[in-house]
Amino acid sequence: MKRKLKNLPMDQNNSIFLASPVVRSFGKINWRGFWTLYLAEVKRFYKMRTQALIAPIITTLLFFFIFTLALDGTKEILGDLSFSVFLAPGLIMMSILQSSFANTSSSILVSKVQGNIVDTLMSPLSSIELTAAYVAGGITRGLLVGFLSTMTISIFVSIHIQHFFIILFYALGASMMLSLLGLIGGIWAKKFDHIAAMTNFIVVPLSFLSGTFYSIDLLPKAWENLVWFNPFFYVIDGFRYGFINRMDGDLWLGILIIVIINSILFTVACKIFAIGYKLKS
Amino acid sequence: MLEEDKISSSIWENCPQIRNYGSINFLGLLTFYMREVRRGFKIWGITLVAPAIRAILFVTVFSLIIDNPVKIVLGLPFLNFLIPGLIAVAVLERAFESSAFSMVYDKSEGIFDDLAIVPLSPFELVVAYASASVTAGITVGCVVWLALIPFGGQLPALPLTLAYFVISGSLILGLFSQIVGLFARKWDYLISIQVFIFLPFIFCSGVFFTIDQLPQIIQYFTWANPIFYIVDGIRYGITGFSDGEPLIGVIVTLICIFGLLAICYRLFRIGYRYRF
Repeated sequence: MKRKLKNLPMDQNNSIFLASPVVRSFGKINWRGFWTLYLAEVKRFYKMRTQALIAPIITTLLFFFIFTLALDGTKEILGDLSFSVFLAPGLIMMSILQSSFANTSSSILVSKVQGNIVDTLMSPLSSIELTAAYVAGGITRGLLVGFLSTMTISIFVSIHIQHFFIILFYALGASMMLSLLGLIGGIWAKKFDHIAAMTNFIVVPLSFLSGTFYSIDLLPKAWENLVWFNPFFYVIDGFRYGFINRMDGDLWLGILIIVIINSILFTVACKIFAIGYKLKS
Repeated sequence: MLEEDKISSSIWENCPQIRNYGSINFLGLLTFYMREVRRGFKIWGITLVAPAIRAILFVTVFSLIIDNPVKIVLGLPFLNFLIPGLIAVAVLERAFESSAFSMVYDKSEGIFDDLAIVPLSPFELVVAYASASVTAGITVGCVVWLALIPFGGQLPALPLTLAYFVISGSLILGLFSQIVGLFARKWDYLISIQVFIFLPFIFCSGVFFTIDQLPQIIQYFTWANPIFYIVDGIRYGITGFSDGEPLIGVIVTLICIFGLLAICYRLFRIGYRYRF
């Protein structure tokens, strides 16, 4: 074999090696792999866009009408602010929270049920890249739903953006938090029942009782203290501050809490992928 | 000769026999009904507990944001007005989900076509699915009612009226659900129908507000909305107060039931989208 190769002319010898597949080398981060998984995530929810994008908008609108009509819409809270202006940002945030959670959790669970999670785990992606790609998919869906519901709801109520970057930060932070929660939940869950239970017993109650529909001044004292332990409260409160320039809590406290929660959740999610909890057996 | 006769007769005795039944296959009907009911109860977290929690959340939020708890709607305090509406929504939602979700699940598993070979007539299939929907609706109604008692629920004022409207309501939605389930090829179809048809109908049915609070154009739509009569009837059954005329509600629901029964029977008869 060696002799044969030696006998070949030099240029032909080279072309054999050039044509054979080569290991793609990449630096510390596999950007192309990350991008591919991210695109797969985005395409997945875009394929079921009626469920993923249009349904949350309709639900948000219905909530908006139900609450403004039932309360006559004229009631004023927080001084001169009408209830519908107060309500709109909260509802937008609620749609962001639920969409981001649904995206990562259902994606992971569907792959687990169908058995193709193995392919994702076998891909040349580190645990950090896996987590980041899934979470980026969830954030994309959350922000898209948020943007679309802002557009639709602004037909019915005048929305003024006061602090664009605060809105953006809170929307990003909230969708990242819920994507990470959904990721961890999706890995933990064995059946669709488990995901539904998490949505119905944790995500929906926390977002309902977090000041979406009311200012916490209205709450009884005991409840008001409990609200400070609800991370959704900070998210919705800060997001609303960007629209109406008023908030119940503190802006920097909210930012701090979002950053802390997100970094804890991100570390946990990376760790879960690294040790393969409920993924590798 | 005698021996042979004995052997052959014993063979015939042991071999499986065709079960004879009259004009209605009651055993098959019961089996199918039980399968549908069990399927619903197996995921009780989604079908029973979740609606109760959602109703409690709605009551909590509304009682917090209503500054004067004595706001009178239809001669009732607002919460007493709201609670029957929430019970009605839970019943109707569950009835709508029951058959359609079961059918689409079967379709995605590829076992729905088996309906074409079960020894059940189209009418028996319709009855089995519909009675499972009614069972599911009544159960979830009771659960939500019990869950809302601490928040101001009350004993029904007119139990028979309530029973009529709960049964006819879940029957109408259950039959509609069968049509949707037969029509839907994928989950997407189902979710679209739920979001674009079912939710707006519920929204315009006076659960959260009386219809004179709606814009004029939507009010006409509401008068033609059978769900409005069901919600109103259930509210009448629980509180004794109503927005519309309960007798018109009875007529509308009866017309709906017979119309939908005919459509469902026809669809199962021709094997719409499952028999080829």
